Amino acid sequence: MIAVLNGTKPLITSVCYVRYAVKEPQACARFVSEIFGLQQVASQDGEVAFRSDDRFRTVSLSRDQADGASIGIEAWDDAALQEIGERLRAQGFAVRPASPDECQQRYVQSALLADDASGNRIDLVTRPTRSGRRYFPPRDAGIVQFQGVGLRSIDHARDLAFWRLLGAEVADWVGDIAYLRIDHLHHRIALYPSQRPGLLYAAFEVEALDQIMQNSYYMQENQVKIVQGPGRQPASQQIFLHVEGPDGLILSYVTGTAEAGGRPRPPRQFPPTASSLCNWGSESKGVSELGAQS
Amino acid sequence: MIQLKDVSYVRLGSPDLEQAEQFATACLGLQIAERGKADLYLRSDDRSHTLCYSEGNPKDQTVGFEVDDEASLQNAAATLEALGHGVHAGTAEEADRRKVKAFIGFRDPSGNHIELVVRPERSGRRYFASRDAGITGFSHVGLNSTDPARDERFWTQICNARVSDRIGDIPLMRVNAIHHTIALVRAPQAGIQHINHQVESSDDVLRSYHFLNERRVPIVFGPGRHPTSGARFLYFKGPDGMIFEYSVGVDEIEDEATHRPRQFGFEPTSFCMWGSKPAGMTLPNK
Repeated sequence: MIAVLNGTKPLITSVCYVRYAVKEPQACARFVSEIFGLQQVASQDGEVAFRSDDRFRTVSLSRDQADGASIGIEAWDDAALQEIGERLRAQGFAVRPASPDECQQRYVQSALLADDASGNRIDLVTRPTRSGRRYFPPRDAGIVQFQGVGLRSIDHARDLAFWRLLGAEVADWVGDIAYLRIDHLHHRIALYPSQRPGLLYAAFEVEALDQIMQNSYYMQENQVKIVQGPGRQPASQQIFLHVEGPDGLILSYVTGTAEAGGRPRPPRQFPPTASSLCNWGSESKGVSELGAQS
Repeated sequence: MIQLKDVSYVRLGSPDLEQAEQFATACLGLQIAERGKADLYLRSDDRSHTLCYSEGNPKDQTVGFEVDDEASLQNAAATLEALGHGVHAGTAEEADRRKVKAFIGFRDPSGNHIELVVRPERSGRRYFASRDAGITGFSHVGLNSTDPARDERFWTQICNARVSDRIGDIPLMRVNAIHHTIALVRAPQAGIQHINHQVESSDDVLRSYHFLNERRVPIVFGPGRHPTSGARFLYFKGPDGMIFEYSVGVDEIEDEATHRPRQFGFEPTSFCMWGSKPAGMTLPNK
């Protein structure tokens, strides 16, 4: 499977956090915890942080537009980190080691801070902190764990090259949208061609369809904008609900993502039509990347 | 005791068969089995028909239930007559129109028109839907009841129905292993409250939700999930105000002897555990 295994170990193993830079951290924090259902944890340095599973934190919000936004990708170990650094530099990507302060801020042991071709900040980290206490959310949204991300990409060929250097593989295509596989799941990262860079959504796995639907009605009752769903991706079988909070923050509930089979297969190409993005018939409202036209 | 085996068909009067056909094929997704002079026969499974629209008054609504054989039918007629229900013995021509060997008609205590039938026809050809709604078959009906406690006694004590669960005073009753074949709903007058078709998967329920919404078919409840039977459901309105339901995953009662009906409160969460609220249905809407 993953072609660029470092011996038997993959270079990267998970998407472990997202850091958002937002204009109104307090309003966003209320949305993330009370509405979406993540557990708020003690904040530091003006950051508000949240848990979604047994990790110490998987989401943080800060006002720092310059350095507050990034996506954490867990590397296997320091050797993998070094390998990644060499590969990225060799291909002309900007990479630098994180300072101890930056590592502490991210709750990781060591890190390389990289930019993809679109300018999305990707933190390659080792040993992200776990918590000994179990995840206890403010409401029963059914969240099981942080699942993955959707990224906006303005240079999809170069961005794809970036992820391939880390060992990610395209599981399937919808038009030029690439679903990237880094572990046993169909995908953890999706690259959406866009006019601007940035995090499109952070997705959280819930127990089952029941929780997707319960959350859907909960959002309607609380007058939260549902940007798409409930729906189901034909390629990955993933059932999803994308909701939008303040500052255009899109968070998603997902469940049922297909596992990658034992036998390797080439990525399948789906046409860039609405039915390739949702086979139940839901359509994106106001977020062009999630729609078929982009 | 009358032994009902299964629900067999629904017959609905309609002033506009063309409209009924349009809805049944383009929206509901049934297959046209046959167009008679004044009848439209529709299939949903391997039976030759499970829904029949007849030119006439939409208030004329009949539910047919299958019984074992002609002897059972004679016994049923005798039982019902002894209880004071007027029994109509179907003529050969009427039986032909229903595609059954023989039948009797009567009214339940609320006045619902019920038929008991023997040997309803099956079809040698498989069901081939007019649209891919994922329908696997006709499964149950909701019946209006002017007095659910009285009607529950009628259905359980005379017709061998068993209560699987209750929501308030609404009994969900089974006549075979399937969680319910008859649901009684309190209403001011007799009538069919809804007609259920099973679909293949929850994907079908959600797909139909988007499909029907786009075609401006009024969704009256759902998509949702019943905590009683576990079924994922969608209710929507067809011609003459008739409510149709798609559902999937209705529980089966594994142990007939030891199953104890559960009591659910008469409140929205007893009807839907996802949080959908009924609109335009006679259910609580808090």
